[in-house]
Amino acid sequence: MKKYFQIFKISFQQEFSYRLNFIMWRVRNVLQIILTFFLWSSVFKNPQTEVFGYNQGKILTYVFGILLLRAIVFSARAVDVAGEISNGNITNFLLKPVSYFKYWATRDIASKVLNLVFSVFEITILFLILKPNLFLQTNLITLFAVLISLIFAIVLFFCLLFITNISAFWMPENGWAAQFLFIGIITDFLSGGVFPLDVLPFTLQRALYSTPFPYLLFFPLQVYLGKITGLEIVRGLVTSGAWVFILFVILKFIWARGLRRYSAEGR
Amino acid sequence: MSRNSFLAVFNQRAALLIFLIGKLLRFFFFFAFIILLLKGTKSLAGYNLNQTLLFFLTFNLIDTLSQFLFREVYRFRPLVVSGGFDLVLSKPVNALFRSLMGGADVIDLITIIPLSIATFYIAYLLNPSALQSIYYLALLINGLVIASAFHIFVLGMGIVTLEIDHTIMIYRDLTALGRFPIDIYKEPLRGIITFLIPIGIMLAFPAKAIMGLITPAGVIWSIVFGGLLLSLSFKFWKFALKKYTSASS
Repeated sequence: MKKYFQIFKISFQQEFSYRLNFIMWRVRNVLQIILTFFLWSSVFKNPQTEVFGYNQGKILTYVFGILLLRAIVFSARAVDVAGEISNGNITNFLLKPVSYFKYWATRDIASKVLNLVFSVFEITILFLILKPNLFLQTNLITLFAVLISLIFAIVLFFCLLFITNISAFWMPENGWAAQFLFIGIITDFLSGGVFPLDVLPFTLQRALYSTPFPYLLFFPLQVYLGKITGLEIVRGLVTSGAWVFILFVILKFIWARGLRRYSAEGR
Repeated sequence: MSRNSFLAVFNQRAALLIFLIGKLLRFFFFFAFIILLLKGTKSLAGYNLNQTLLFFLTFNLIDTLSQFLFREVYRFRPLVVSGGFDLVLSKPVNALFRSLMGGADVIDLITIIPLSIATFYIAYLLNPSALQSIYYLALLINGLVIASAFHIFVLGMGIVTLEIDHTIMIYRDLTALGRFPIDIYKEPLRGIITFLIPIGIMLAFPAKAIMGLITPAGVIWSIVFGGLLLSLSFKFWKFALKKYTSASS
């Protein structure tokens, strides 16, 4: 445990060693939120407007919630795993008495903590400037359900990201391309990161709920907003938990196959 | 140079296919979102579905064209950091031309033709007059001129600060604000992104011109502004070149 704590500390310091990079990354997040905020503000200019089951307060809470949840769920250092495989650096880790999964999970947590701190700061600033009418959830049971769904979301994203990255065992040149397609486009859109999935036709929404993507951002936010209640929450948590299990088994399987294929190119 | 760039991309067919699918999917998701959104709300900032789609398609057309032409900018930092830029400077090719347009992107080239057809089809549905169509084309070219200026500024920044990757991505994020009509933004942000960071002139004015929302004086003013920005970017490039120290070579 002590060694992972040290990895956490070093990883945290490393994030600070590239300060400009980090700040630019956060600026980009804020810009994306500004676009979404004004888009929805324009749609809900009249506070009485209700579209796709949202009123002004709930949609703006969704926009701010996305900024926070992206920091918690999507911030990850494991994006570098594909590069480690293709340049052969992964060999160094395989020889060390460190679990490769735990190593990256620890680095991910360091990244999430740092991004979370900054996103809270950004939300405060944006809140003071834009003065949105936000929805505040006060039901403790609902908040507990949000917390559980977030834990599942973090593990789900870790599995999805890792599976995408270890595709580099088979296509070392294209690990980054796979990440662009699968994480940058498909996961981002289908998780509700760009727009709420409620705008989609009902049948498509239902079909999406049987995939892992909505459980990354959309489901926790729907629970928070009180748009999903009672048994629906339980059903969502069970599906999300099932996906965690399925993806973890797939990850272990692909990892084992990938290691057998790995020939330490570049070493 | 572009032929070499195309050959390099064709050598990695899997990556070409993955990136192409990714770009098409992103376009499709946004396109579908706008249709679904406008189906629910009927209008966005006073614009109907076809008008909103024209803003989106014009944004994509200028964005894709500039990515196709200026892809080399994304590869500029390693040249400066490694000192490889010395070799560019010593060759009998204009260093700015080489750094800006030395590696056209075939993936974007593939998408430009269908995108242009879709844009002009939606524009046609708005029944523009001949003059409005000419304004649209003139401001579209002006949008590309402004995009060129932005990319030259980014290259100059790359030499001065050695930071380019995030600068170009911030440029992309800023231009993404023009994906929807800029009328959705409130003042003072609308003013800032129209005139100070001229995303409005670059991306929204062409679509507005075809809808008859830009006066002839506005069109001329925009073109003068584009020309001024481009000449400023040339000056900045010359300034940046003087700061280049060739430190790592």
